[in-house]
Amino acid sequence: MNSFINVAVKYRALLLGGAKITLIVSAFTILFGLIFGILMALMKMSKIRPFRYFANVYVEFIRGTPVLVQIFLVYYGLPMMGVEIPSLMLGDVDISRLLSGILALVINSTAYNCEIVRAGIQSVNHGQTEGALALGLSPVRTMTAIIFPQAMKNILPSLGNEFITIIKTSSQISVIGIADLMYTADTIRGISFKPMEPLVIVAIIYFIITECISFILRRIEKRMKVY
Amino acid sequence: MAETEVILTIRNLTKNYNTLSVLKKIDLDVRKGEVIAIIGPSGSGKSTFLRCINAMEQVSGGSIEFHGTQIVKQKNLQQIRAEIGMVFQHFNLFPHMTVLKNITYAPMKIRKTPREEAEKSAMELLRKVGLEDKSGVYPDTLSGGQQQRVAIARALAMKPEILLFDEPTSALDPEMVGEVLNVMKKLATTGMTMLVVTHEMGFAREVADKVAFMDEGRIMEYGSPKQVFEETENERVKAFLRKML
Ligand SMILES: Nc1ncnc2c1ncn2[C@@H]1O[C@H](COP(=O)(O)OP(=O)(O)OP(=O)(O)O)[C@@H](O)[C@H]1O
Ligand SMILES: [Mg+2]
Repeated sequence: MNSFINVAVKYRALLLGGAKITLIVSAFTILFGLIFGILMALMKMSKIRPFRYFANVYVEFIRGTPVLVQIFLVYYGLPMMGVEIPSLMLGDVDISRLLSGILALVINSTAYNCEIVRAGIQSVNHGQTEGALALGLSPVRTMTAIIFPQAMKNILPSLGNEFITIIKTSSQISVIGIADLMYTADTIRGISFKPMEPLVIVAIIYFIITECISFILRRIEKRMKVY
Repeated sequence: MAETEVILTIRNLTKNYNTLSVLKKIDLDVRKGEVIAIIGPSGSGKSTFLRCINAMEQVSGGSIEFHGTQIVKQKNLQQIRAEIGMVFQHFNLFPHMTVLKNITYAPMKIRKTPREEAEKSAMELLRKVGLEDKSGVYPDTLSGGQQQRVAIARALAMKPEILLFDEPTSALDPEMVGEVLNVMKKLATTGMTMLVVTHEMGFAREVADKVAFMDEGRIMEYGSPKQVFEETENERVKAFLRKML
């Protein structure tokens, strides 16, 4: 027990830095993954066939391949496709690596969010669309004011699970040298020659983060149960 | 009733779903204040016909003229739908909005009616359908009959010129049919122009000015309730009525 506390105290700066990176990566992934997930869901339900086709292939491909492969594909693939993210250091954080890690995770979570959002929207009775359109509401307003709020009720629990998955999955970007929590555990193991302590500490930190997210989401869900 | 002006002129209206021909050259004139009951067997195209009138369905051919403008060519479908209201079999109230908000939402967003005014007229409408005490509740807490009356109030709040009803009482328990039909009867006496798809032959006979019998995508018989219910020579109409009465 003492040894755990010693490691935690001794390397607290490293651990906090790692947690910060994990939080930053997760936050950006959740935000943009949600935005693109909604857009992808709209494409998947679009009347325009190429949109539907693209969304289908995209979702199938991403869900059918390991996230680790996707991370490497983005990391090595982008420069090969001529997309150079300029090497940029902010303090001791390598921004270009961070960006390609976030990008890979966003690409990944977009596919899962797409399915969650689509299922939620389609679970809303079609009569709701009819009722709204028949009043003269525009298709956009029908979606945003009538369908989406109702879909949210079905979407929120699954979305919460996905957010937690993102936080855990984000540990995989340590493979491209992003100094997140997982990477920090490796670092500490290397300098302290203790394999267990940093891993357990990091596990606890991950757990605290995901529990906080769960708590917040449960509160929001309760709030939405007014009708 | 004196002949009033024709506000809706339908000519040669056709509608196909791929190869399935659902509406086959329908003609109909609707005069202001008229109540037209549309009856006929299942699958004859009654719902499709109504849905074409308020542009919920794209027509395949022919024309629908509303106050001289072609609905078919009209770009602004929202405007048409605001003028031609619709009441559905399954009410389609918005469950995440209170009864009051269900009624005020569209007028406030589309007609830009100030909230106070919208709520005042919503309360008036609720009084007319006998539900003034339900303004603050969510639709799920209401019975089917009450929900349908709210749906009628919601459609009326847009002050439409024509109100379409697609089997408004078919999803209701028998004991609730009466309360909805009564609201519709009262509405008919106020001069509202109404097209009502219904299986309630009593309503068609007593309240409608005209009855249209639809079969296989055509209006096979059209006339006063007396003409259609009592004087028809058409065997299909007779067979249908025998089954219904
Ligand atoms: N979206 C659609 N796609 C394909 N066929 C359709 C569609 N909507 C309706 N139809 C077909 O068109 C025909 C007429 O349907 P419609 O709903 O207008 O009949 P109806 O007279 O209202 O019948 P009911 O009394 O059962 O409501 C039916 O054969 C139906 O299967
Ligand atoms: Mg029908």
